[in-house]
Amino acid sequence: MSATQAPLLEVKNLRVEFPTRRGTLVAVDDVSFTIAPGEVLGVVGESGAGKSMTGAAIIGLIEAPGRIGAGEIRLEGARIDNLPAEAMRKIRGRKIGAIFQDPLTSLNPLYSIGRQLTETIQTHLNLSNAQARQRAIDLLKSTGIQAAEQRIDHFPHQFSGGMRQRVVIALALAAEPRLIVADEPTTALDVSIQAQIIALLKKLCRDHGTAVMLVTHDMGVIAETADRVAVMYAGRIVEIGPVAEVIHRPEHPYTVGLMGSIPSLVTESERLAQIDGAMPRLTAIPKGCAFNPRCPRVFDRCRSERPDLVVVGTTRAACWLHAAQAVPA
Amino acid sequence: MSAVAIPAFGDAAATDVATVKPLVELTDVAKYFDVSAPWLNRVLERQGRRLLHAVDGVSLTILPGETLALVGESGCGKSTIARMIVGLYTPTRGTIRFDGQDTRAMKTAAGRSLHRRLQMIFQDPYASLNPRWTVGNIVAEPIFAHKLVGERGDVKKRVGELLGLVGLSAADMEKYPHQFSGGQRQRISVARALASNPEFLVCDEPTSALDVSVQAQVLNLMKDLQREFKLTYLFISHNLAVVHHIADRVGVMYLGRIVEIAPKRTIFATPRHPYTRMLLDAVPDLNMTGESRTPVAGEVPNPLNPPSGCTFHPRCPHANERCRSEAPSLKSATTGGAVACHAVEEGRI
Repeated sequence: MSATQAPLLEVKNLRVEFPTRRGTLVAVDDVSFTIAPGEVLGVVGESGAGKSMTGAAIIGLIEAPGRIGAGEIRLEGARIDNLPAEAMRKIRGRKIGAIFQDPLTSLNPLYSIGRQLTETIQTHLNLSNAQARQRAIDLLKSTGIQAAEQRIDHFPHQFSGGMRQRVVIALALAAEPRLIVADEPTTALDVSIQAQIIALLKKLCRDHGTAVMLVTHDMGVIAETADRVAVMYAGRIVEIGPVAEVIHRPEHPYTVGLMGSIPSLVTESERLAQIDGAMPRLTAIPKGCAFNPRCPRVFDRCRSERPDLVVVGTTRAACWLHAAQAVPA
Repeated sequence: MSAVAIPAFGDAAATDVATVKPLVELTDVAKYFDVSAPWLNRVLERQGRRLLHAVDGVSLTILPGETLALVGESGCGKSTIARMIVGLYTPTRGTIRFDGQDTRAMKTAAGRSLHRRLQMIFQDPYASLNPRWTVGNIVAEPIFAHKLVGERGDVKKRVGELLGLVGLSAADMEKYPHQFSGGQRQRISVARALASNPEFLVCDEPTSALDVSVQAQVLNLMKDLQREFKLTYLFISHNLAVVHHIADRVGVMYLGRIVEIAPKRTIFATPRHPYTRMLLDAVPDLNMTGESRTPVAGEVPNPLNPPSGCTFHPRCPHANERCRSEAPSLKSATTGGAVACHAVEEGRI
C-alpha cells in the first residue's frame, strides 16, 4: 500500500463460514484489504463470489448460522469483529453507514421518512427534536430531494425508486459515519437514475470525507466511482489495485476474462471473450487455485497449490503466473 | 398519436424495404391496461376508469435475418410489445402481421401454425421453467404441441440434438431445472424455443438476470444460432452495451412510444433524440475512470398521467412551447433513421 496515513478500515485474513449438516461452507476465505480515509474501494465479482458477505461481515450483519471463522476487522485501529451486538449497533450508523440494493426493504413502510431519519440522528447524536428535524431536512436537501420540508412527512411508498434510494443515502449519512458500505446501491434502478445516484454518492462522500466500500457486479459503475478495486472469485480476492490499472491492464486471467466479457459501447466485435463454465459452488471449490478448471493458462501447480496475492507492478494478483517475478505481498 | 404508418427507415434504405418483405410488421399498435379501482369504489368515490397506456401507437418492421433491439427504461412498454407479438397480450388497437398474416389468427385453429414459427425467451430463467418437469420434457413440449415428430424415440433424439446445440449434453435430459445454474437454465430456455424450428425469436431481457461472464456465453450462443439457422430476433433490453453488441437496428422507447429508431452504428455514433443522447450519456463506461459527468435530472413520469405534448419535455433541455402542447411523430432523419422530436425536425438541435 502506498498510503502513508493509517488505514480507516483494515480487514485481515477474514473468513466467513456457514456450518451445515454436510460440513462447513466457506463463503469468504482469507480476505485481507484496507480502506484509507476518504477512499472508494470497489469490490466486484459475480454472484456467489463473497463480495456481499464481506460487506456484511464489516457491518456486523452476518445472519446465523453464518459466522466469522477467523481473521479480524479493525476500524480506526480498534477491533470490531468480536464486539457484542449492542456495541456493534452503536458503531453501525455512527461510524459505518450501510446502503443496500433495494431501498424498499431498508425503509420501514409504516413510519414517515422524517421519523426514520430523526430516530437515526437522535440515536447517534445528542440533538433536540427540532434540531434533529432540521438536520433531517438538510440531509434530504443535500441528496437532491425537492421540497424537503413537505416531503419529510411522506411515507416510503410515496417516493419513486430513485427518490427512495436518495432517502436511504440520507439515512446512511445521518450521523456522519467515516465509512459507508454500499451493497449494489444502483442495481435496482434504471440507467438514467443510476447515473444520478452514483454522482450523488460520489459528491456527498467527497464533501464529507467519507470512505466507501462499493460492492457491485457492474464494472462500469466501479470504473467511474472507485479509486481502487478488488476482484473477488469464489470467496477470495484474486486481484486488487488502482481501478484504471485493473481495468486496462488486468493481471489475473479471471479479471482478463471478466473484462473481455463486458460488451462495449465503443468497439464492435463479432464475439465476446467468454470464460467457459461457471463459478464453482461453495460445496465444491476446486483444489489449488479455485479458477483453475476455467483458466485458459492453467498449469500443474494451479491444480495443487493455492496462490496468494503477490505484488505485480502496481496491483496485486493471486496467480501462479506471476509467482516467479514477484515478491510476496 | 395519429394512426399514420411511419417509415422505419431513412430514405437511403427505402429501396431495400421495397425489395425485402418484412417478417414482422407492427402498424399503429397500442395496448391499454385497465387499472381502474373496483366498481364499487368508482361509484362511491365518483372516479372514472383509469387506463394505462403501456404502448401507444407503435409502428415498426423487422426484416428477415436481422436483430432489432428495443431499449428503454422500466415501464416504457418494450416488454408489452414483445408479449403482443407472440400473442400473450391482444393489442387494443392496430395490427401485428407476421409474414403477411395477422397474428390475431393465432387464436384460431387455422392460425396455429404461426405459433410454431415465433417463440419467446423470457428474462427470468428461474420462473420460466417448470420445476416439476425434467429438462427433456420441457424441451420436448413444443415438439409434442405442434406434432412435429411422430415417434417417441425420435423426440428423444431431437431433444438431445437441441441440448447439444445450446452447449448442454443429451444426458441432461433426465435432470430437473434446479440442478442447473442460471446461465444453463437460460440455455434450456433457448433449446425449448428452438424446438419448433422457429424463424423468429422474441427475447425479453434474456441476459439481464445473468452474471456478466455468463451473459457473454449466452450472447455468443445467440449470435451463433442466428447465423446457423438464419433466425430473426427482437431483442428487448435496458442494457445499451448488450444492445450495441447484438443488434443490427435499435429502437429507443419512452413512455409507450418509439422516439428514435435507426441502424445501430447511426444511433450509437450520432444519436438525434435528446432522450437517446441522455441514455447513452448515462451508461457507466469502463473508459471513464475517475471522470465525472453531469447526469440528466428527473425521472420517468407516471405513465398513468403522462405529460402533455412530447412526453419527454419535462426532462428535455431543448423543450419549447410546441413540445409542451403537440406530440411529435416519427420522421425520417437525414442520418438514416427516424426521430420523433420537434427540435430535430426544426433543426434546433
